[in-house]
Amino acid sequence: MEGKAAFEHKVSKGSRFNQIYIPTSMNRIFEVGDLVEVKLVKKKEQIYHSKNLEYLGEFKLSVIKQIFSVLGKFTEIGQIFVVGSFLTQKADYNDIDIIVISGKKRIEEKAYFALSEKLPLKFHILAISEENLEKLLKSDPLIRSMLFYFASNKKFELPEKTEIDTKHLEFLLMMPEDLLKISISDGRMYYDSLRRLIAIKRFVGKQNTDPVLMDKELKSSLGNNFYFTLKKNEPLDKKTIENAQNIIRKQLILMRKILT
Amino acid sequence: MSKTKTMHELINLLAISLRHKIGSIVNNNEIYAQKYAKDAEVLLNEAKKISLKEHWNLYDKKKIREELSLTLRKELESKTFIGEKKFDLMDEEMSRVLKELGIGE
Repeated sequence: MEGKAAFEHKVSKGSRFNQIYIPTSMNRIFEVGDLVEVKLVKKKEQIYHSKNLEYLGEFKLSVIKQIFSVLGKFTEIGQIFVVGSFLTQKADYNDIDIIVISGKKRIEEKAYFALSEKLPLKFHILAISEENLEKLLKSDPLIRSMLFYFASNKKFELPEKTEIDTKHLEFLLMMPEDLLKISISDGRMYYDSLRRLIAIKRFVGKQNTDPVLMDKELKSSLGNNFYFTLKKNEPLDKKTIENAQNIIRKQLILMRKILT
Repeated sequence: MSKTKTMHELINLLAISLRHKIGSIVNNNEIYAQKYAKDAEVLLNEAKKISLKEHWNLYDKKKIREELSLTLRKELESKTFIGEKKFDLMDEEMSRVLKELGIGE
């Protein structure tokens, strides 16, 4: 009798408490006053995404579901976001960028290990505490840009209200400013700094920090060849370095005007 | 390039690299700590390339350490957005990179 006394059912929303209904065919087995045990069999797999996100296709949706399924088992993770080029590029993406909301130490390594065990893909995981995320969503152009397109296991909306934290922006401007004082042959350093400058400029100017638009803006200001030289981290010669430095200098002058 | 010029270029790069590294430790709540530590590594690798251009004698090594200490202090002082703990980390971080470059005493 006890062997058959089992059923699977979805949890449904009640007005005060969420509930599980006993099927009418089992009314005689599960009676009022009986003691039962409830176990989680499968976590609900729902993808919440930013409204601006285009249809991702079956492959990407399946990868995202698997990510949520693996990381959803970590009780110390409050929310999971898949962000970055995996969502916005058709095939030209490298790592799959993931943000996990957690204040626990070493959660990035644990999550990375768990994902690598299940999925043969490259992941880049960033952990942010809920408190820190709340602060950064208002004051950080880069995190706002990262979350402009997202897929998450829980509801989320990018807050409209922003605030300028000059100290934080100064911290972000450190590398672009340094690149004017030294010559680095890695193109990617210039690429990242220029993107950062565009993000800050747009953020301070109360424009959105759409990474796709920012990339278009960068490509049009650099020209196709130069853009790809920097993006693909190709080694730069002296003339190219000077060219990149000049563009950064112009952007920084503009930025200083806006910030003061 | 003269040895003195190479030395100055090296000191400049090391000071900036160390500022990024120290910034990443002091501002460890920043989500950028990882990124700044990585940037510091890229800058340090450039410094390594420059360092290999010359043979540094004991006198040079002493001079590099002294000038780096002054330059780094100035660098850190000018960046008020990096927490005050930055000065406590200066000597330890400097010794570490100089040792890595084979310039340590």
